[in-house]
Amino acid sequence: MLRLEKVDVFYKELQALWGISMVVNEGEIVALVGPNGAGKTTTLRIISGLLPSACGSIRFLDQRLEKTPPHRIVELGISQVPESGKIFTGMSVLENLELGAFVRRARQERAEGLERVYAMFPRLAERKNQQAGTLSGGERQMLAIGRALMSNPRLLMLDEPSFGLAPILVEHMFEMIKKINQQGVTVLLVEQNVQASLELADRAYLLENGRIVGEGKGKDLLSFESVRSAYLG
Amino acid sequence: MNKKWIALIVSILAVIGLALAPVVIKKDSTINLVILVLLYMTLASSWNILGGYTGQTNLGHAAFFGIGSLTTRLLWIQGAPFVLSFLAGGLVAVALALLIGAPAFKLRGVYFAIGTLALAQILNLTASNIWPEMSYNPALASYNLIPRYYLFLGLAVVTIACSYLLVNSRWGLGMMAVREGEDAAESLGISALKHKLLALGISAFFAGLVGGAFAYYHVSYYLNMPFSPEWTFDPMMMAYIGGTGTIIGPIIGSVFFVLLKQLLVWNVGEYHLIIFGTLFILIVLFLPGGLVEVWKKVRTLITQRKKPGKVNRSEV
Amino acid sequence: MLQSLGQNLVFGLLVGALYGLVALGLSLIFGVTKFLNVAHGELVMFGGYACFWAFTLLGVDPFVSIPISAMFLFLIGALLYKLVFSRTVKLPEESKIKNTLLVAFGLSVILQNLALRMWTADERGITTSYASVAFTILEVRFPIMRVASLVVAVVFLIALQLFLRKTYTGKAIRATTQNWEAASLMGIDIHKVYLLSFALGAALAGVAGILVTVNYSIQPAMGLGWTMKALIVMVLGGLGNIPGALVGGLILGLTESATSFFISSNYREVAGLVLFLLVLIFRPQGLFGAKEA
Repeated sequence: MLRLEKVDVFYKELQALWGISMVVNEGEIVALVGPNGAGKTTTLRIISGLLPSACGSIRFLDQRLEKTPPHRIVELGISQVPESGKIFTGMSVLENLELGAFVRRARQERAEGLERVYAMFPRLAERKNQQAGTLSGGERQMLAIGRALMSNPRLLMLDEPSFGLAPILVEHMFEMIKKINQQGVTVLLVEQNVQASLELADRAYLLENGRIVGEGKGKDLLSFESVRSAYLG
Repeated sequence: MNKKWIALIVSILAVIGLALAPVVIKKDSTINLVILVLLYMTLASSWNILGGYTGQTNLGHAAFFGIGSLTTRLLWIQGAPFVLSFLAGGLVAVALALLIGAPAFKLRGVYFAIGTLALAQILNLTASNIWPEMSYNPALASYNLIPRYYLFLGLAVVTIACSYLLVNSRWGLGMMAVREGEDAAESLGISALKHKLLALGISAFFAGLVGGAFAYYHVSYYLNMPFSPEWTFDPMMMAYIGGTGTIIGPIIGSVFFVLLKQLLVWNVGEYHLIIFGTLFILIVLFLPGGLVEVWKKVRTLITQRKKPGKVNRSEV
Repeated sequence: MLQSLGQNLVFGLLVGALYGLVALGLSLIFGVTKFLNVAHGELVMFGGYACFWAFTLLGVDPFVSIPISAMFLFLIGALLYKLVFSRTVKLPEESKIKNTLLVAFGLSVILQNLALRMWTADERGITTSYASVAFTILEVRFPIMRVASLVVAVVFLIALQLFLRKTYTGKAIRATTQNWEAASLMGIDIHKVYLLSFALGAALAGVAGILVTVNYSIQPAMGLGWTMKALIVMVLGGLGNIPGALVGGLILGLTESATSFFISSNYREVAGLVLFLLVLIFRPQGLFGAKEA
């Protein structure tokens, strides 16, 4: 479904990603794990078009994404939940969700989309007229995910959805991701919570210093000695 | 090292040439034109000290030019010797700079820019309220262009030489560090406020002096006229078009401006300003280094063409 | 004395509404795009000339020419965005503000001199048949033109507010204002949003230009003065804060009229600028800052 081949990325003169190649197949949950500053967020940002890639190819369902602007990529069916949500704090919960369905493809199905999101996150339905800025951390993350789902994506990319959440909420969050996946949405997950994400993911890639240093089934990687010692202590 | 000597020799020759000019040129209109170039050169160079080298976009430079000319003219009219009035103009401009500097530098970046613009407008409006009448040159009976020419020439030379010495000193390095990033400079133990105040003070001093020279030169004008915002915008555009943060930039910019103005003089309605404004926009958007940068690029292009081997290597 | 003070205050409020409208476009543009368009006063001037020529050559009533002037300036705004301002979109915020400020200064020089060439330096004004009509309440005079300006300003303020709150496009504009990156992840084309906001801001300047023409006069050099007023109002009312523009305008109008009354009308504008500096120095981020609206 999504295929990156030998992608290099530069921040000004500094190279951030070195020859990244990875594949996400339809229906999978793929995790991208690694330490801080490894280039996980950068990878998501080039897929969603927020950053230009220097060379290499990015394909999504036979479409080339390298030169496509972000709003067209959303139209194609990729939706990203950015780091720490980035919800529109000055607008109501409902307005946030409505904006999630901004793309033409999703605009007609806005009512169904809302229903689906409210079913998944009843809390959002309760607070729909509240300013998003007044929500708690967990509710903000739910809103961010709900907003991304409103565009009816085929591929959902999540950047650190567990960041800053209480442990009990983290567990809930991962269950949610699983549920979303079961409804037919392919998931690409970036996480620092290695244990939980490897348990959840079908497959995973290990990213270090801008390079992919390992890949495999999530459960296999979990038992991998170097991974254990590096991330799980 | 070699390049430095060439630059020095060229500058000395240029100054000698300009110093001899009145001997050769007998037409007043041409002398006036050179005076205009020298005036703008000084004003643009003085703007450049704070605006170019220290990175503080000063949109209130006219305030210093204005207060310098006002002080000089008023003292001179009252009967003070011109030289004293002239120096007083520069000093009052410095005093104004130090007075407003501390509060103004609480404003960073664009706030500083619009704050200084507002300040200059306050002085402009106030001056026109207090002195609404036309002011006439006290030396009208014995008016002679030549000493005025030399005053402007001397002032331009001193301003440019001082800028050069300043930016090559420890203080100059500090100023440039502040331009590149105030917080980083502070973390290196460079006081941003001190360096900005210094740059503002020197910048204001020369602007005040050239204002005084203007008061000596101009025959009749309304006393608030030197406070008008054009005295900020025109030199600022000259510095940008030539290249901010370089010594030669404001010189090129001012010569270019006056030549353009002269070439288009047959046209009513300030045609040259339309062209100059367009050029300024293009420079800000696409060539932040100004014409100096263009020249450098052209030069490397030429030298690269001469040595094709080098091009290949740099492409690899 | 008291009556004349009351008259002064009423005038201040009426003029303040006009100031609010002048600032509305600037504030919208700055709020959404972070372009500091100091050529705003020149846009006001062009709006004024559009209405002046419509009145002089075609006999169109100034209030009828509001849509003409607004359309004209909308197109100019779109053109300026496409040609000039769009080049700065990718810069980091601080250099974007600074570069657009410089670029806009260049533009103001160009526009001012274009106007000078096309229409000479003559001061122009419009006198309609009803220009001198006024009504009196409690011995305070309400000139019809000033009152009409107030009405127009309030109508446009409410219309803009409704557009931003109620329409999908308006919501997209607000989302882009708050976080352009998140907005583009929603599938919003932020270039389109910027283009639209800039053109709308210019159109509002065009409308303001009409009110300036019927209440004062216009000439090519008027730009900077009105830009300063708009900047003052924007800082007083809070950045990108649409109702704030009206509040800021009223504060400025009252400050000016109080200065006229107690000191001298010569220092009207000085008082506004002093107020501006005080706010900048003592509440720099508070009113101008990047706080999410």
